[in-house]
Amino acid sequence: MSTFHRGLTTKAMLAIAPALLFAPAGVLAQASNTQAKAAQSTSSEKGERWLHVRVICSDGKGDTVRVNVPLELAEKVLPAVNHDRLHNGKVRIDNSEINDVDLRTVMEAVRSAKDGEYVTVQGDANDVRVAKEGNHLIVHVVDKGRSKKSQVEVKVPMKVVEALLSAGKDELDLVAALHALSTQGDVELVSVKDSENTVKVWLDSKNVAD
Amino acid sequence: MVLLAKAALGLGGALVAVGAYTFHEGVIRVDVDEFRAGGSHVHMWVPAAVVPMTMHFVPKHNLCDAARDAREFLPVAHALFKELEKFPDAELVEVKDGEQHARIRTQGGKLQIDVDDPNEKVHVLVPLSTVDDIVGQLEDSAPGA
Repeated sequence: MSTFHRGLTTKAMLAIAPALLFAPAGVLAQASNTQAKAAQSTSSEKGERWLHVRVICSDGKGDTVRVNVPLELAEKVLPAVNHDRLHNGKVRIDNSEINDVDLRTVMEAVRSAKDGEYVTVQGDANDVRVAKEGNHLIVHVVDKGRSKKSQVEVKVPMKVVEALLSAGKDELDLVAALHALSTQGDVELVSVKDSENTVKVWLDSKNVAD
Repeated sequence: MVLLAKAALGLGGALVAVGAYTFHEGVIRVDVDEFRAGGSHVHMWVPAAVVPMTMHFVPKHNLCDAARDAREFLPVAHALFKELEKFPDAELVEVKDGEQHARIRTQGGKLQIDVDDPNEKVHVLVPLSTVDDIVGQLEDSAPGA
């Protein structure tokens, strides 16, 4: 190898070495850019279902809590939680707590019944309404007893209620309920409004809360 | 001169391999700023690949103690971090309380925790795979594992 070529090769090697050294940084920057673009998407591409919880305090400070959880994630993680009455995604309920009411029989009766209003209580303290509308179980409570009026509305698809009660006796199957929930369309499950807080629990395909 | 060039290329190649591995595994970033007299300011960037390797040098009885203390939460953490990697970036939790603001979200395969408070700011960015590795090693160190 001539002196000229040797010098040229040496210089080339010295130039390539730092270039190679900084190559991963460039690749990383590109990857970060791609990730940033991907992150801008709000609607889940794979059709994942997201459970959202939003609590807004109306005390003027604008205190808020927002939780966004993919249902599939909750389905996978819940069976790993073994604490107190929650084991393998099922919650054990004491028979005494439900006063010997056979929940399964009651739900079967509600499921096979036509749409309608099942319970209506109008009192000085509370107004309670339990109804079945379009395959949804609806519970509506207006608390008038307190100095500040509050309103609770729960709307649960019947399939979810059935799944919840699909476990053995004295057990609620939360994982089955979550799985049933994932097959439902966008729905507002819980809404609580009072003078201090607004709570909303809903299901949709977006990975961000509105 | 040729020897120097070969050494530079060898060193460059090795650094590229190390750099590529480090960047592939990601970086753990920790920023803590305390806004008070004598408050600490910690700004740390650590290659994520180093952490699971370092865990091998932690005395076994210390890992065993940590695993015993966290035994109840390890399966949950393992399932959570393993699954989180499969989902798109999302803001999982956001809490605003007066001037305090806390946020937990996933971004580009990393778990990002931001706490902004008038007295301190804490920002942590850690690859989900690293957290999963650590949890896995703790599970393996648990008594009876």
